[in-house]
Amino acid sequence: MKNTMIYLAGALAFLLTACGGATKLDRSMVPEPASAPQINLSNYTKHVLDNGLTLIVVENHKLPRVSYRLSVDRDPVMEGSKAGYVSMAGDLMRAGTKTRSKAQIDEAVDFIGARMNTSSTGVSGSCLKKHSDELLTLMSDVVLSPTFPEEELEKLRKQVLSGLASAESDPGEMSSNISQVLRYGKEHPYGEVQTRKSVESITQSDLIDYYNTYFLPNQSYLVVVGDITGEEALAQANKYFGAWEKKTIRRNDYAMPKQPSGNRVAFVPLNGAVQSQIDITYAVDFKPGAEDAVAASVMNSILGGGVFSGRLMQNLREDKGYTYGARSSMVQDPVVGYFTAGASVRNEVTDSSIVEFLFELKRMTEELVPDSTLQFVKNSMNGSFARSLESPQTIARFALNIERYQLPADYYATYLERLEAVTAEDVLAAAKKYIKPGNAFITVVGNKDEVADKLARFSSKGEVEFFDAYGNEWVDYRAAPEGITADVVWEAYFNALGGKEKMAKVKSYKQSGKMAMQGMELDMNSYMKDNSKVKMEVLMGGAPVMSQVFDGKKGVISQMGMKQEMSPEDQARMQEEADFMGETRLAERGVKSELLGVADLDSGDAFVIKLSRPSGSTELHYFDVKTGLKVQTEIPNPTPDGGEIMAVSKIMDYKEFEGVKFPVKIQQIAGPQQLTITISKVELNTKLPDSTFATE
Amino acid sequence: MLRYLSIVFLAVAGLSVQAQTNKIEFEEYDLKNGLHVILHEDHSTPIVAVTVMYHVGSKNEDPNRTGMAHFFEHLLFEGSENISRGEYTAYVENAGGTLNANTTNDRTFYYEVLPSNQLELGLWLESERMLHAKVEQVGIETQREVVKEEKRQRVDNQPYGSLLEETMKRAYHVHPYRWTTIGSLDHLNAAQEQEFIDFYNKFYVPENAVLSIAGDIDADATKDMIKKYFGSIPRGEVSIVRPSTPEPPQTGEIRDTIWGKDQLPLVLQAYHIPAQGSDEFYAVDMLNQVLSQGESSRLNRAVVEEKQLALFCGAFSFALEDPGLTLGFSMANLGVDPMQVEEAMNEEIEKLQNELITEREFQKLRNQIENDFINSNSSVAGIAESLANYHMYYGDANLLNTEIERYLSVTREDIMAAAKKYYVPENRVVLYFLQEQIVE
Repeated sequence: MKNTMIYLAGALAFLLTACGGATKLDRSMVPEPASAPQINLSNYTKHVLDNGLTLIVVENHKLPRVSYRLSVDRDPVMEGSKAGYVSMAGDLMRAGTKTRSKAQIDEAVDFIGARMNTSSTGVSGSCLKKHSDELLTLMSDVVLSPTFPEEELEKLRKQVLSGLASAESDPGEMSSNISQVLRYGKEHPYGEVQTRKSVESITQSDLIDYYNTYFLPNQSYLVVVGDITGEEALAQANKYFGAWEKKTIRRNDYAMPKQPSGNRVAFVPLNGAVQSQIDITYAVDFKPGAEDAVAASVMNSILGGGVFSGRLMQNLREDKGYTYGARSSMVQDPVVGYFTAGASVRNEVTDSSIVEFLFELKRMTEELVPDSTLQFVKNSMNGSFARSLESPQTIARFALNIERYQLPADYYATYLERLEAVTAEDVLAAAKKYIKPGNAFITVVGNKDEVADKLARFSSKGEVEFFDAYGNEWVDYRAAPEGITADVVWEAYFNALGGKEKMAKVKSYKQSGKMAMQGMELDMNSYMKDNSKVKMEVLMGGAPVMSQVFDGKKGVISQMGMKQEMSPEDQARMQEEADFMGETRLAERGVKSELLGVADLDSGDAFVIKLSRPSGSTELHYFDVKTGLKVQTEIPNPTPDGGEIMAVSKIMDYKEFEGVKFPVKIQQIAGPQQLTITISKVELNTKLPDSTFATE
Repeated sequence: MLRYLSIVFLAVAGLSVQAQTNKIEFEEYDLKNGLHVILHEDHSTPIVAVTVMYHVGSKNEDPNRTGMAHFFEHLLFEGSENISRGEYTAYVENAGGTLNANTTNDRTFYYEVLPSNQLELGLWLESERMLHAKVEQVGIETQREVVKEEKRQRVDNQPYGSLLEETMKRAYHVHPYRWTTIGSLDHLNAAQEQEFIDFYNKFYVPENAVLSIAGDIDADATKDMIKKYFGSIPRGEVSIVRPSTPEPPQTGEIRDTIWGKDQLPLVLQAYHIPAQGSDEFYAVDMLNQVLSQGESSRLNRAVVEEKQLALFCGAFSFALEDPGLTLGFSMANLGVDPMQVEEAMNEEIEKLQNELITEREFQKLRNQIENDFINSNSSVAGIAESLANYHMYYGDANLLNTEIERYLSVTREDIMAAAKKYYVPENRVVLYFLQEQIVE
C-alpha cells in the first residue's frame, strides 16, 4: 500500500514537470522587463507656399489613407456685445458656399466615405488616399468661398439659445463661466461669456467679417498626414489652396491678466442644489515649450492627475469620501495658461473640501515628493507617451507645435530624456512657481442658504462675493420706495386682479387649455369648487394620464393608473390652491410675508415677496411694479431622489373673465424640465358634481 | 473604469471589414489544454496588446443570477494567489501600460496595452487571472458596491439609460438576451460565495478562451513565454452547455411608453434580425447605413434637416451570436409630437421597401464600408480584439481580412429584400421614451 502511494506520487511529480516545461515556474516572481525599446519619432517636412500657407507633411504609409488639417493661428478675438459669433462662424463654414448648398456638401463628403469638420480656427478632413482630390475640392471650397447662409444661421441660433437656457441651471456651465470671467477678467477675450442677448444680436455680416479678417493663408498651417509623399502633398496644397489670397494679419494684444493679491471666494447661487461645484483656479504664464513644462506636468500628475493615484483623489475620495472625483490640471497656452483644481462635493462638506484642497496645494509647495511616487508617475507618463505614438496624428501634433511655438526641432524626440531627468527638487520648484494656495479664485456654484456663509473664512478679505450664471456681479434687491410694505403689494395685486369683492364671487371654476412639454402638447383641465376642492388633470387623446385631486380632506396623485396619497406638505399646498381667496388669508395659516425689495426681471421691475411657511419652506413671489400683477414665482419642488429643485414659473399673460383676471399663459422651468401652459377657456360658477373631486 | 459594454448609439463602428491591400498577417495554434493562441507581429510602435477573450457573456447566466458575467469583469481585477488586492492595476500603470475589460451578451474581454519590453508582465498577469484569481467574499463585497455605482452612473443617471433593458425584455421572452449584461443587483446580492467560485471554475478555463497578442513582439520568443505561463493551466472539469432554445418568431407589434426624466422624447423601433455572419445580416447592416451613416443619410436628411422633427436620428444593428436586433431611433425636437416623428421614420423605411436605392447611394455605401474597414485596423489593441472575435464566433480569424467581401457581395435587391422581410410591424418593438412630469 505504502509503495503504491510512493509510486503514484512519483508519477504525479513527473506529470507536473512535463506539463510545466523544463524549468519549474515560480509564479510569485514578477517578470522583469526586457531592455527598454527604442522609441523613434518619425520626421516631417515643411514648405511655405507663395501665399504664406505653411505646409507640414508627416508620411505614414501603413494604411492607404490621408488626413488634412487646416489650422488658422490667429490672435484671440474680443467679441464684446456679440459674444458667440466666432464659434458660430466656425460651425457654419460648411453650411454653404458660392456653388454648393449644405445638402450638396454633406452628400459629397459621405459619397467618398470621408469625414470633414469645421471650426472657427480651421477645417479638417480624412479619407482614403484615392479620394483625396474629391475631399480637397470640398475643403478648398469651404475654406475659400463660404457664404454663411441666413437660414442656416437661424437654425444654429435656435440651437445655441436652447443650449443656453439649460446652461443657466447647469452647475458645470455656471462654474466654467465664473472661473473664466474671474481668471482673465472681462477685458480679455478668454474671459468673455456668451449670453442670450449677445447671441440674439449676431448677424450674418459678423460671421462674414470674422472670416474675411482672420481666415488668411499667411497665418495658417496645413498639416497632411498619411500615405502621401512630400511632393504630392505640396502639389495638392498649391492646387487647392494656392488661390487663397494673403492679406495683412490683424494682431490683437491683450494685457496679461493679474493674479489676485489674496484668495477670493466667488459664489454663484443655484437654488435647490444638493452639491457644490468647487473650482480653485487662476491664470498662469505657462506657454508651450516652457523650460519647466515637463517638471510642471509631473508635478500636476502627482497632485491631481492619474486615474486614482493623484493626491487630491486619494485625499478627498478614497480617504474622506467627499466626492466621486477630485482632479487638477495645468493648461498651457501661448497667450495665457491656467491652473484649475476642482470637484463636486456634498453641500455639508463644501468648506471641509476646500480645506483639503488648500492643504494639498500647500503641501505640494513645501515638501519634496518621495522617490517612489516620482518614479511611479514617470513610468506611467513614459508609457502613455509611447502609446500615443501609435497614432500618426500625434506626430502631426508635435510637428505643428514645433512650428507654431518655435520649439527646438528635437523637442519631442528628447521628451523622454527630459522626463527621466526630472528630480524631486525640480517638482518642488515647479510647485513653488505655479501652485498658489494663497492667490487663487475659489469659485463655488451651489446652495446659497446652506453653503455660502461658511466660506467667508477662505477669503483674504473675509467676504464671499456673489455672481450670476454668466459671471456678472449678483445684485441683491434694490430697496423698495418709502411706504411700500408687503401688505401694500398684496393689496395692489388683489386690486389688479379685479378686487377682493369680485374675487369673492368666484365659487367654482373650470379652466381648460393645453400644456406643452418636451415635445408634446397635452390637454389639461383644472377645477375648483367651494373654495375647498380642487383638481388638475392632464389628458392624452381624451383619456386622463395624470391627475391631482384634493377633496377638501385628502389629496391623491394618479399617474398612468397608479394612485398615491399626497404628502402632508402637498396636501397643505393643495388646500391653499383650492381656496380662491387663499392669498388674502395667508396670515391665518401662519404664512409669513416679507418684502425683500425690487428685482430687475426680463419683464421689468418687480417687487419681491418672500413667503415663509410653518413647515420651514420658503418661496419667492414677484409682482410687477407697474401693473401690480404677479409675474413670477420660485417654489422649491421635491425630487424623486429626496432632493429639491427650484421651479420657476413665469406668468406671461392674464385675461379677464367676469371681471376677474386669470393667468392664461404660464411657463415653468424646473431644472432641465420646461413646460408651458396656455389656458383657452375659463368657466366660472358652473355646477360641478362632487364626483369630479373623488379621491377613491 | 472597467467598462460594461452596453450598446451605444455609435455602435455602428462595430462594423469591421478588411481589404486585400492591407492584409493582416497572423498565426494561430492551440495549447494542449485547449487555449487558442493568435499572434500578430507589427513593429511600427514599441507597444504590445495582450488580450484574453472568454466565451462567456450574460446569455450564459442563470436567469436568477443575471449580471454574473459582468460582475466577473470587475472581480477578476481583485488579484490572484500571487497578486495582492488592488495591485493588478498598479503593476500595469507602473510599467507604463493601460488596461481595461468589457462584457457583452456573448463574451468577456480583458486587455493590457504595454511597452513591448513588458510583454512577459502582461502574460503573467493574464495567466494568474486564468489559473487562480481571487474569488472570495471580501472582493465580492467590494465589487458589489462598485457595480452599484456603475449602474447608477451608466444606467440610472444616463440619458435614456434604460433603453436597452426596456427593449430587450420586450423583444425576447425565451432566449437569455431578454436581460442585459449589467443584470440585477438583487441577483448579485443573493448569490453565495460558492456560486461565484463555480462560475469561475466553469467558464474561466483555457479551452473557453482565446489569447490574442498583437504588436512589437518576436513570435518565437512569445510562444515560449506563453507555454511557460499558460501551458500548465489545467482544463476545466465542467462541461459548458450553451443556450440552445431560439427565440420564437414575434407575431405581432409590441408597443409601449417608458416614462423617465429625459427632456426630449425618443422614439425607438427594434426589429428582429438574423444572427451575425449570415448573408441577410450584411444586407440589414447596409440598410442601416443607408438610413443613418453620415449627414446625407436618409433619416438625417429627411427627419432632422428637412422636416426638422428630430435633433438626431440613428440606426444600427445589435450584432449578436444568436439572432439579434436592429435598432432605429430618433430624438424629437422640442415641441414635436413623437407620433409625427415615428411616421417620418416609417416613411423612410417604406421607401426602402418599395424602391431600390439609387446606384449612387449604393456606391456611397461601398465607399463608406471600404473606408471604415481600412480605419478599423489602426491600433494593435483593436486588431487583437477583432482576431479573437472572429475566431470565437466564426472559427475563422482570417475574416478580419475577408469579411469585407461579404459586404461587397450584397446587392441593391438584397437590401430591398431585407427591408421587406424584416422591417415589418409584426416583427418590431416600438417604444416611446417620454418625460415624466409632476405638474403644480
